[in-house]
Amino acid sequence: MGGSCVKNKMERRHKSRCSSRALTSVAAVLFFAAGARAASAPIPHGTLELIAENQSIAPGHEFHLGLHFQLEKGWHIYWVNPGDSGEPPRVKWQLPAGLTAGEMEWPTPRRLGTATIVDFGYEDDVMLMVPMHAEAGLAASGPVQLGAEVRVLVCREMCIPGKAQISLTLPVKSQTPVPDARTAALFAAARNALPHPSPAKWRLSVADGGDSFLLSVSLGQHVAQATFFPLVESQVKDAAPQQFAVLPGGFRLTLRKSDQLLKPIERLKGVLVLAGVRGYAIDVPVTASKADAGEYGSSDGDRPAFVAAVPQSGTAVGDSRATDGALKCAATKAKPTAKDF
Amino acid sequence: MRRSTLYRMIVVLMLCAVPLLIAAAKVGDDAPEFTATASNGKTVRLADYRGKYVVLEWHNNGCPYVGKHYNSGNMQRLQKHWTSQGVVWLTILSSAPGKQGYVTASEENDYLTKEQAVPTAALLDPTGEIGHLYDAKTSPQMVVINPQGVVIYSGAIDDKPTTDLQDVQGATNYVSLALEQAMAGKPVQTPATRPYGCSVKYRD
Repeated sequence: MGGSCVKNKMERRHKSRCSSRALTSVAAVLFFAAGARAASAPIPHGTLELIAENQSIAPGHEFHLGLHFQLEKGWHIYWVNPGDSGEPPRVKWQLPAGLTAGEMEWPTPRRLGTATIVDFGYEDDVMLMVPMHAEAGLAASGPVQLGAEVRVLVCREMCIPGKAQISLTLPVKSQTPVPDARTAALFAAARNALPHPSPAKWRLSVADGGDSFLLSVSLGQHVAQATFFPLVESQVKDAAPQQFAVLPGGFRLTLRKSDQLLKPIERLKGVLVLAGVRGYAIDVPVTASKADAGEYGSSDGDRPAFVAAVPQSGTAVGDSRATDGALKCAATKAKPTAKDF
Repeated sequence: MRRSTLYRMIVVLMLCAVPLLIAAAKVGDDAPEFTATASNGKTVRLADYRGKYVVLEWHNNGCPYVGKHYNSGNMQRLQKHWTSQGVVWLTILSSAPGKQGYVTASEENDYLTKEQAVPTAALLDPTGEIGHLYDAKTSPQMVVINPQGVVIYSGAIDDKPTTDLQDVQGATNYVSLALEQAMAGKPVQTPATRPYGCSVKYRD
């Protein structure tokens, strides 16, 4: 069968001769189980399970489900902005009336890939949490089944698309839900892995520096290293080194603009990881470059607010007017100028 | 004497450093020239096609995103349609030896026959030189060059960044859009997009 062909080939790290049809036919298996922790479904080079934080659903309450991915060593899946290649997991929910799913909560990603192609994603063990809402009118009756069809691209040196059908069954009870001890540790870890709100005392600014964005952060302490993950694709050149400069009480990151960015952006959103440890969600207005604006620029920007990552649909850049203009300007340029070096 | 040696050294150093410093081609830039060996054994020079529209298609036969466009027949349809309009279509294979998508000339010829693919030529680029010149990130990344030798489109093949065959129908094909608009004397409305797909399997 196609799946085993793929897997054996992959484990030997040989070129796969399996057809793409076989690759896409990777098993979609349906599991039913009662309780907050269902059996896991296979995905290419890993497993996926749907788990719940609570033992029951209470009408009128929010609760969390988790898509728990466990991947073989070296394999990865993608963040909401996958970077230079790849694609984030997509979920199609199958929910009973009265239950709705919110936006996926994306943990802080890692930089993956090579020197010239950089992706953003997760290796090993990662849980994507999803807030769910139960309507007040939901009848406290028997158990309900919550299902999800998940499409996920799993990559190492090569990529395999997978599709899994996962589900779990939970009772609807009117009393306050009790956390499930079996899943508590996973949800605690998942919350800790989310980008944190950036502290109120931070001052951030982003200056448009022509071919780069200059992200300055004043946080009242020395930081040895920082990495920025752009939430929206095609804004920052993913593979370009992020130039880090220490400033008194903070730092500045120089972020090369993406070649696909053909019009100005109003805000730069993303996750800032300090010293390779903790991620902070930032959302900063972009101001015109000010050469004389001092170390941090004159704009403090808005206080960084926590931004829930929202999937960006579409890959096109700009509206037609803006891109036409940009193309005309660019097309008159016969040779790369010094600015391009 | 010592001075001229020093100058010579500086000149040599500059010549060596320049290729590393040149930014990869992006929309609006002159398309970088290249010479490559095609799977049919012929030598292909981009310069030979000045005066024609040229499409570059980055290819990797093991990539599921490429598979979507070949198994659906979409890529072959595009190749057939646009080459019949006088467009030069160059499929480029930048996978390094030992990596997914690397093929010998005869393997590529067998693939073209099996898939009934009809590019003008399939270019073997195992060193990744052409790929890096155009900063190709993914397969199937697409580039369109106009008759004046300027890059007028670089990015995704269409607006559905998935591996699903059923997404081919109803997708907006950016390559066809760029060619149609440019041939009609209009500016290309979407000249740059995120090139979705598998990463190009370069030597590094």
